[in-house]
Amino acid sequence: MTASFDPSARQRGAVHRVTLLVVAALIVLPWVEADKFALHILSLIAIASIAAMGLQVLLGYSGQLSIGQAAFYGIGAYTSALLTAKLGVPFPLALIGAGVAAAIASLLMVPITRLTGAYLAVATLGFSIIVYLFIQNEEWLTGGSYGFIGIPRAELFGYVLRDPMLSYYLNVGVAAIVYFTFARIEGSRFGRAINAIRQDADAARASGVRVTLLKSECFVIAAFVAGLAGSLYAHEVRYLAPNDFTFWKSIEILIMVVIGGVGSLAGAILGAAVVVGLPEYLRAIGDYRMLVFGAILIATMLFGEGGLAALCATLVRRVGEVSRRLALKLPPRNETAP
Amino acid sequence: MGALSVSEFVDLMVGGLAIGCVYSLIALGFAMIMRATNIIHFAQGEVMMLGCMCGLTSVWLLPVLPLLLVVAVGMASSGIIALAMELAVYRTLRRRRVPIMNLITATVGMSILCINAARIIWGSEPLRFPELFATTAYEFGGVRISPQLFWIMVMGVAIMGALQLFLKHTRTGLAMQAVAQDPEAAQLMGANLTRMMAYTFAISGMMAGAAGIMLGSMFFAFFEMGFITGLKGFVAATLGGLGSITGAMLGGILFGLIETFSAVFLSSAYKDGIGMILLIAILLVFPSGLVGLWQRRR
Repeated sequence: MTASFDPSARQRGAVHRVTLLVVAALIVLPWVEADKFALHILSLIAIASIAAMGLQVLLGYSGQLSIGQAAFYGIGAYTSALLTAKLGVPFPLALIGAGVAAAIASLLMVPITRLTGAYLAVATLGFSIIVYLFIQNEEWLTGGSYGFIGIPRAELFGYVLRDPMLSYYLNVGVAAIVYFTFARIEGSRFGRAINAIRQDADAARASGVRVTLLKSECFVIAAFVAGLAGSLYAHEVRYLAPNDFTFWKSIEILIMVVIGGVGSLAGAILGAAVVVGLPEYLRAIGDYRMLVFGAILIATMLFGEGGLAALCATLVRRVGEVSRRLALKLPPRNETAP
Repeated sequence: MGALSVSEFVDLMVGGLAIGCVYSLIALGFAMIMRATNIIHFAQGEVMMLGCMCGLTSVWLLPVLPLLLVVAVGMASSGIIALAMELAVYRTLRRRRVPIMNLITATVGMSILCINAARIIWGSEPLRFPELFATTAYEFGGVRISPQLFWIMVMGVAIMGALQLFLKHTRTGLAMQAVAQDPEAAQLMGANLTRMMAYTFAISGMMAGAAGIMLGSMFFAFFEMGFITGLKGFVAATLGGLGSITGAMLGGILFGLIETFSAVFLSSAYKDGIGMILLIAILLVFPSGLVGLWQRRR
């Protein structure tokens, strides 16, 4: 909404340049910062950002509020764990299987897409509580509250990704694929249609947009990528406990989207970085860290209307203006200086 | 499971109604805030928890405090806390006209803040309330009822009745209703919007505070107690049809009964889940909750 960039060609060029820069930085980063724990945190941020981008499509693009994304995240994680640990399915297949399992589960929810606003939110919440209880109680399948142990590391083409640097590339790579796929939605026919639904569902229906179908598609897309994120999480952490998939996780994913800026894909990634990274960064203050996190969250809502994405866009624009002004003024100064 | 004897049935019924009253009081807060501001107030459960903690602290300081005064302390402190949230944060956010999602996220932030403040102040161990109620069971025509559950029901019904009277028969109550229905028209009629919003938060906080004392005395006082109970209150409010006062009361009591009976007859491990399945089913048939059903029949 407010966070979208000005569609003028220069702005778009700037966005492309920033994207290229970020991708380059992410590729180079493991050589500069080889700390294993830091790479692990970055992996977790990449995984969280995948789930957040899914919710961004659902909430930011199509305007549907879900507070139950943890259900699909959990279904993906346990599906992938079961497929690899119990059935010996290779990781790439398990990854896709996790996404598909979550998408199929979300088909159960398709009837509720005709609900709106808070009613939809409560129904998704109800679904996520049911999934949580299933994970907690069906010990024969999920390990129950003892947790699921013995999940193998991710492997690609028979090569096990033992090095955190390699799993970092895997997680960031999948996140990048999701980002560039979703970035294409915005200008597409599908993207314009769901945008119309968000702004006015009745008007969209009157213009021939198949509202219920498209809303359901957004639900399935968000669930699919949440499932992918769950699978990556399972193989990154290699231990699953029901408490990783409570209602709280859904709220975390929602916070990522809102803090980053509703409607901005890059914002979802920034939000994931803040929500996952900030508590790690604040670890030094111990008990007070979640207190500070809550305060920061409220302050962000007070001061950043379009979230971090808008804040960054403003910042980039300001820096651009200043540098342009400097570039224009520098030559005359150089002439007068000597 | 076999048939229940009469006394077992009454026990379940009373237990369900008592916990239902707690959910109703929380749901009332959700519904009032929803009506007035359109936001889901995720910190409502935490307001309840803080009221419970303050009530417990008052009993620690003055062990002779009678039950009604403890409830009053809980209500007052929760009311003040909710009012402070409104004055310090939500009002500013509304004035800046931020998108509704930002407001809702701010209430989540408030909830995180309260949970962690409570953990730092009262510790992370579950705290037990001293006996606030008579311990010998009351007998009504041969049926024994626990005094605790009995008084919780009586207080719950009394508080909800008082709220209804206040909303229907006082100038302030009517103004609050008017503001919730149509803010602009109400303002033109001379209702003070900002003040009515503040009252809404204070009163919904008081309801939550009463619920907190009741819940704490039934189980424990615990820094995370507001989280799941708050969610159930929200679900109860939705069940009743969000934004309706009567619906929230009925929804809460219904949810309490469903939860209690399904725990016995179906599965205690899935007792939270059964309520949710029912909720989703009800929403699918009546997308605007039970009140929508009632209004359609008329």
